[in-house]
Amino acid sequence: MLFNSYIFIFIFLPLALLGWYGLNRIKKYETAKVFLTGMSLWFYGYFNTYYLFIIIASILINYFISYLLTFSKTKTTLRIGLFAGTGINLAILFYFKYFDFFIENINYLFRSDFNLKHILLPLGISFFTFQQLSFIIDRCTGKAEHYSFTNYAAFVTFFPQLIAGPIVLYKEIIPQFDDLQKRKFNIDNFAKGISLFVLGLGKKVLLADTLALVTNFGFEQTYFLDTPSTLLVILSYTFQIYFDFSGYSDMAMGLGYMFNIKLPTNFHSPYKACSVKELWQRWHITLSRFFITYVYIPLGGSKKGKARTIFNTMVIFALSGLWHGANWTYVAWGTMQGLLVVWDNLCIIGIRGSEDKSPARFYIPKWLGWLFTFSFFNLSLFFFRSQNMTYAFQMFKNLFSFQNTGYIYKLAVNMDIPEFYIFKQAITMFAPDMLNLAYLILFLLILAISAFVLTRKSALQIVETTDYHSKYCWYISILFVWSLISFSQVSTFIYFNF
Amino acid sequence: MARTSALTENPSKNFIKSFFLRIFSLMIIIGTIVIFIDPFFHYHKPWFGLKAVLTDKEYQCIGSLRNFDYDSLIVGSSVAENYYNGWFNEGFGCTAVKAVRSYGATADLCYLLDAAYENHNLEYIFYSMDTSSLAADPIPTYELTGCPMYLYNKNYFDDVEYLYNKGVLFEKIPYMIANSLIGDYDANDSYNWAQWKEFNQDMALGLYIRTPDIAPMKEKEYYQNVLDANINLVKKQIENHPETQFKIFFPAYSMLFWDNLYRTGDLEAYLYNMEQAIAAFLPYTNVEIFYFQDKKEIVTNLENYMDTLHFSPEINYYMAEQIIAGNEKLTKDNYKQRLSDMRDFAYEIVYELILPYEHLIRTA
Repeated sequence: MLFNSYIFIFIFLPLALLGWYGLNRIKKYETAKVFLTGMSLWFYGYFNTYYLFIIIASILINYFISYLLTFSKTKTTLRIGLFAGTGINLAILFYFKYFDFFIENINYLFRSDFNLKHILLPLGISFFTFQQLSFIIDRCTGKAEHYSFTNYAAFVTFFPQLIAGPIVLYKEIIPQFDDLQKRKFNIDNFAKGISLFVLGLGKKVLLADTLALVTNFGFEQTYFLDTPSTLLVILSYTFQIYFDFSGYSDMAMGLGYMFNIKLPTNFHSPYKACSVKELWQRWHITLSRFFITYVYIPLGGSKKGKARTIFNTMVIFALSGLWHGANWTYVAWGTMQGLLVVWDNLCIIGIRGSEDKSPARFYIPKWLGWLFTFSFFNLSLFFFRSQNMTYAFQMFKNLFSFQNTGYIYKLAVNMDIPEFYIFKQAITMFAPDMLNLAYLILFLLILAISAFVLTRKSALQIVETTDYHSKYCWYISILFVWSLISFSQVSTFIYFNF
Repeated sequence: MARTSALTENPSKNFIKSFFLRIFSLMIIIGTIVIFIDPFFHYHKPWFGLKAVLTDKEYQCIGSLRNFDYDSLIVGSSVAENYYNGWFNEGFGCTAVKAVRSYGATADLCYLLDAAYENHNLEYIFYSMDTSSLAADPIPTYELTGCPMYLYNKNYFDDVEYLYNKGVLFEKIPYMIANSLIGDYDANDSYNWAQWKEFNQDMALGLYIRTPDIAPMKEKEYYQNVLDANINLVKKQIENHPETQFKIFFPAYSMLFWDNLYRTGDLEAYLYNMEQAIAAFLPYTNVEIFYFQDKKEIVTNLENYMDTLHFSPEINYYMAEQIIAGNEKLTKDNYKQRLSDMRDFAYEIVYELILPYEHLIRTA
């Protein structure tokens, strides 16, 4: 089930809230957790019931390992638990997400012909695997206790974060489930939750999905793009990916607030960052936190000399890239990020007025740092979004070919949104020659609106500072209804014309 | 006074109340507009003097069949969409609307017939039967092909997808109003696409891509199972509705169609399918069958076509005229000979008539 669906908003969410607060009100606290877990499994299984077996198996296996660890008294048994726990979780993830990628590479390297399995990737598997990995690792290092099954299952399956994060830690969620004060309906958190959910919904449905019309076309037509169209495609994608992912995170946080559960912040205006290092302190914060805690620090972090620090940084960024998808394009993307973070850590160039006080040899103004960081991130997304490395390199070629074939108009025509329909008809009637130009203006306008939104307060900042004045309420209400009517659209059955 | 201060003291509560009040108000306004204008005719026929603007068959056909006033149907695939309803209305003194579906698979068309019969007594069904429909899967394909099932099923809960739909609100409603008020839209031209197309030899040949190899000819019973199922679907309609006159006709495809059938090895099987279907339908007293596929002067003149199948509205008019006049009718006595002649004609196309065009035909 998607947050941006009628069934979620009109049926699932009201039922989940009523059940949760109703059961807690009559002091059926354990039943409430079981109910919430059941609802979360419905939410997850709605995509595909086959997914349910995987997540339930994953929960049972990890819980069983945690249970066995309650009998473990020696370092050896803890170590066995650690290897078994991480091994099993990574094996599950590997099988479902990376098996075909691995076989493809084996086939390529050894000119072999092993069959691909084309395994259906269970939604959110990377999220719930990492979530449970952190628990198991902490269990083995004695940092986590063994929780009740209802607590554990409710923590893993809690639907707001289940399929797209943020990657929550047991220690920030389970205590909240156990806090009986949090079981009472809190009107302030509920209002915050509604606002945050609607702002996230608007980012996802109205901005990200609209920008996707152009970017999807652009990346399909890689070999036809000229310099201006490549530039606009990547800028559009940079905005789209942020609105999509951060919008979903805002919705997750908002839903958390509705249930009186505070989820961690995942994005903090990353495109305002003045260095790549800073960008990664603001982008997908919970993923970075996972890698720093469970990979970077165990590898020695920055305490084993410069070379080892560089190596450790590169490892976590390459892994971060691979976590995003089973393709070398993601590894390339992650590695690029790692290289720039390493560069920032070398402190050769510092940002004037930056919060990072490490002394640098040279200083550049903030605006230059921002320009470099934003441009770099845009370029790196060529790798992230392209279907393979060849296509990614072609995008670079397009960008630096300095050609203008007028393809930008063809690109902009994809911005055929229902809101533009009446204008389109009027232009077609009175100035048909201007229609392509009108599409281009519309596209640029949407990019400008996106840029405007990015430079304002973040959704969380808006929610935390509002006094809920009447205008604000109107904005949120209209944004909600506008998003709602965008869930369903009328498709053109192009292939069915005849 | 106490109430005002309570509200100002608790802005969150105030916000939540206002938020729900406003979204419900907005949703009621939007829902009411969609229900009243109803551009997909899901709830009713056009109100307020608006015209029945029918241009999206996947969205509108089912609603129009359930809610319009009519006593006859023009049934078929895209080749049936360019009939002017008025030709049949005048010719038979009836009120016809279209029941059309891309590809015109029998099961899909019978699904539409069932929808029409729910609330209507039908006098005539003008059924444009595509040769390929007899070899199609005998299962409706609406859901499979991504049609908006909220318009097809009777589940009122999923109507939310229609009521709160940006495309409906910002495109389809303005389109319907504009065509009703300022355009010259004629409801008899429902789903007509010919106005945006060109019909000539260059178009027809340009859209025909020949298979490079000639496949071995399939056994004529190759499609027997699906053929039987499709024939039974139509027979069921004929038997269940003896009060309806079924005027079934096989439209005139271009010679490129027959060339293609030969090269894909389907020719004998398709001819057999037609013969079996005709033999099955002819015995019914409420059935008349008309045959146009052997009209040499039409089929061999590529100026009449935009691709292998789709002919110009002039051909639609010609066939409607013949049906009205009762010409080109198949009978128990002549159908075998007509189909035998059709077989000869098909091979004449393949071996002779297509040859002058071969240098203009592209190969895959």
